Amino acid sequence: MSEQKTFNTKMIREIVLRVLKASIKAALVYVIYIFVTPMLAPVFELVPDLMISIEFFVIVFVVLMVLSDLTQNTIFQHFFNTARQLYVIGYLLLSMGDGLMSLSYESISLTVNLTIFYSIAVLLSLLGLARSILQAIDYMGKKAEREASLQTVLKP
Amino acid sequence: MMKVPIRMLGIATSIIWVLLITFIVLAAYSITDLRFNVEEPQFTIDSNGQLILNLPLIIDNGGYYSLKEFQITTLFSNIEGVEISRANTFIPIIPSGEIVTINHNVPINIEEIFNNDEKYLFEDNEIQVSLSVGLNFAEVLPSQISTNFTFPWGAPLSDFEFRQADFNRFNLTHSLVTIPMSFANHAFFDVIGSINVELCNEENSVLSETQELISVNQQDSYENSLEFIVPISESTLTNVENGHFNVHFSTLLFEHGPLVIPYE
Repeated sequence: MSEQKTFNTKMIREIVLRVLKASIKAALVYVIYIFVTPMLAPVFELVPDLMISIEFFVIVFVVLMVLSDLTQNTIFQHFFNTARQLYVIGYLLLSMGDGLMSLSYESISLTVNLTIFYSIAVLLSLLGLARSILQAIDYMGKKAEREASLQTVLKP
Repeated sequence: MMKVPIRMLGIATSIIWVLLITFIVLAAYSITDLRFNVEEPQFTIDSNGQLILNLPLIIDNGGYYSLKEFQITTLFSNIEGVEISRANTFIPIIPSGEIVTINHNVPINIEEIFNNDEKYLFEDNEIQVSLSVGLNFAEVLPSQISTNFTFPWGAPLSDFEFRQADFNRFNLTHSLVTIPMSFANHAFFDVIGSINVELCNEENSVLSETQELISVNQQDSYENSLEFIVPISESTLTNVENGHFNVHFSTLLFEHGPLVIPYE
């Protein structure tokens, strides 16, 4: 009975810690977003849709990050991490198009070639994806090791 | 076993992400510190007698990054889209924190404008301008701004006309034909040169000719009378009345002619 109670307390503490960690990380991302967006105001004035697009990106990114933190030390953490990295790559590839950003205001048109920037961002996301996959492999490897050692211990 | 490479990969990725985001924020912030100022255009005539439009452009690069491969291209065309002039100015680098004055010179071949469309000589009109500015911002963001606009064109011989001729006896053998001529110089340059007028009969034979020296400042009007000495004969009046004028313009900036004006 006492062991069960200790286990429950540990579980609750673990879950509270995970929620706390996820909340702090989400709040941190939100604070960064709040500080960075005013600096990009001149760009948002020219492209109003960019603000909505970035907002949507940040929401999905934060949700996947929170889910990954909540499912810490399980295989689902790695699923969510990989999903987050794939989402970043997909978002970048879809928004990249031909790599040119064109804006028009009255008779003035502005074209910015963002190919180099997008390429760097996609390469970084690929590194992140590789890291997530390595983490998943590491997790599965450790799990297999644990199970093998448990079976050795339990074997008569 | 894999913990160290995973952690190193994570740290390296995070650092590069932070650098990339910092770069983007600074680049966006730098755009607000860029100032472009176009000063009053000036017209000059070069040693070859060609009109040059000088467009002084002041660029204050108050941002954190240099502007590289700065290039201005202008294309002037008439209302039908026929190219009049094309000019290009290239500045390899505008360093961060510096103010640079660029003189964009556009050679304008006035004669070609009138040869393409005579209306520009006699009627106020419009010139279409296509302006394109290209630059490499912060080394990795090649950008281009382009715009189209029109500016008014003032005709150098606006409302050019010959009015009613006046016949007077000059001597026993000749009569004096006086024709009032007028025009207004609406152009942005002075019209200095001469107008050569031939009075021709129906068969295009020259009956008489005269030359008028002109010097008309921009936005000024000109009014004078042309005088022709025509031999007196039975057919003189008929010849003149059925004839026409061949007008040749010869100025510092352009030569044009013959402009055929029927006698009215």
